[in-house]
Amino acid sequence: MINRALLPAGGGENMLHCTDMTVLERQRARIKWQQEQQQQFQLQQQEISYFTELADVFHQAGVHEGGLSEVVTRSVKPDPGLVDNGWNNDHVVGYGVGLPYNNGLGFELNYGAISRTSSCPPEAVAAVAEATVKGSESVVSDMISSGAGRESSKKRKVDKIQNNSKVVAEEDTRDKRIKGCAEQGESKITEKNNNKNSRNNNTNKNNNSNKENSDETSKDNSKVSEVQKPDYIHVRARRGQATDSHSLAERVRREKISERMKYLQDLVPGCDKITGKAGMLDEIINYVQSLQRQVEFLSMKLAAANPRLDFNVDNLFAKEAFPACSINFPTIGMSSDMTNPAYLQFNPAQQQLVACCGLDMGIDPPDMALKRTTSAPVSIPETFLDSSCFTQTHPPPTWDADLQNLYNVAFDQGRQTSFQTQPFTGSIEASNLKMEM
Amino acid sequence: MRAPRSVLKQQFLKKWMMGLQVFGSAKQSMSILERKKAIKLSADIALASTRAGRTCWSRTIIADASKDDDGKVLVQHLLSPESERLKKASTGLAMENKRVRCKKILKRSCCIKRVRKGASKVVLAKSISKRIVKRRTQVLKSLVPGGEFMDDISLIEETLDYMVSLRAQVDVMRRSLAKATEVVNGK
Repeated sequence: MINRALLPAGGGENMLHCTDMTVLERQRARIKWQQEQQQQFQLQQQEISYFTELADVFHQAGVHEGGLSEVVTRSVKPDPGLVDNGWNNDHVVGYGVGLPYNNGLGFELNYGAISRTSSCPPEAVAAVAEATVKGSESVVSDMISSGAGRESSKKRKVDKIQNNSKVVAEEDTRDKRIKGCAEQGESKITEKNNNKNSRNNNTNKNNNSNKENSDETSKDNSKVSEVQKPDYIHVRARRGQATDSHSLAERVRREKISERMKYLQDLVPGCDKITGKAGMLDEIINYVQSLQRQVEFLSMKLAAANPRLDFNVDNLFAKEAFPACSINFPTIGMSSDMTNPAYLQFNPAQQQLVACCGLDMGIDPPDMALKRTTSAPVSIPETFLDSSCFTQTHPPPTWDADLQNLYNVAFDQGRQTSFQTQPFTGSIEASNLKMEM
Repeated sequence: MRAPRSVLKQQFLKKWMMGLQVFGSAKQSMSILERKKAIKLSADIALASTRAGRTCWSRTIIADASKDDDGKVLVQHLLSPESERLKKASTGLAMENKRVRCKKILKRSCCIKRVRKGASKVVLAKSISKRIVKRRTQVLKSLVPGGEFMDDISLIEETLDYMVSLRAQVDVMRRSLAKATEVVNGK
């Protein structure tokens, strides 16, 4: 199929760094950055150099404030994952920069630094910028336009230049709109703008000139304050494909969906190998369910551990410290010897649970369920290790359907909110649920 | 270093603790189930408030929580500066969801395709896969709060955001559990 850009597993981590920033700050910074970026449009022909810079930005952006200018110009060994798979320049992964700033001002300075000093191709930098500054409503909307940019350039290297300018133009356009949107806080408009942008993208697929893009951009620039622009959708058919409006719209929609699925693929652990929508959806469902179950389980255990619901302030201070010293907590880390402390942790809580809930709940507490299925005692705690860091090398513990049902039962009866057990009918994958953590 | 992810976690933790204090002051002796409910409820509302108003799932959580007394108190407590706007958003959400649901029912009743007769293998496989995808999308919609009223595209966006927040929530809860058990064991 079409060669799509995929983040390496490590990049998924980075992406998470930037998903948590408040939207408005990111947005504002991003718009300013985009403006500067467009002014300093440069073409970068060297793959390695901007891979290097990107890797730099990825690795170092989270490190210090205001030092991005030095960071970007420093040359560092590029992340090997970035240079893999015979990617074109076009397919530079665009996101994963975690900028640790809370104020919009910091963002703007940084972005200014990036635009001034880096000579990354605009597509890559635009993608980087948009990765670090998220759209008004959700994490994904920015990634989508970066994805849209990537899509536009997936055809030929010849189109790279045009595609780069397109991407910049589109994102600029989109940013302006998103700025207006954010102030209103309407997610629908963002979606519409996404639509319009990806459709504009499609219109320019067949060798349109840069001028057209800049015309569009300038037109849209003049309408920054408007929130709802008339959405005339100009989509041009690709070579050798059907041209009626339905199939075009259908194709746009499909492409959008697949772009978003790609981002999900980077987030969900263990989805690098899965290429179909159905399989991806399955993994996503499993992962969300497992996270929800963990929340249930953890809240139950916390209730057991704290008879008086008094969480002292030490917790807060501990949290303040945890970015710096992440080694102190036994649950952090993926090495196998970490599983033992985690597992040992379960036992004292188990006794408490048994003592407290006993029979009045009428169900088996989840810990009892764990205890029963001691066939894989080590694998179970692994699933409750830090869900955000996992290793691909370690073979994932496979749940069989029984354990899953046990959990379903336990949690269903324990919770009040609607939590439905979803029977995965007829799919073999259901029984081989990989809870990779 | 202050990674953005930990900013989210800190925000969540702070709000969660605030919510729990509400419960702590209210009742003195609660059964374990009640405690668990309180913990989970305040955790959920705290999580939703970190994305206050911007994502559909957070609005749904807040709207659902505001329906009963406990939740209402928590919502007011945790979101006092923005609660007015959020309440309006939540009520608007309820209306809109009803509208969307009615439209979907109407649409579904009108067009029911039947592709059974003598279709080639390729077409058959495609229809099967489409059905699988559809079923799984429905499952996902039931998982993500507020998902039933979204189209596919925004569903995936919401899922992304929800997943990130859930992950942060799990991390924070796990660490505070570790802390709590340390304290308990230390005693």
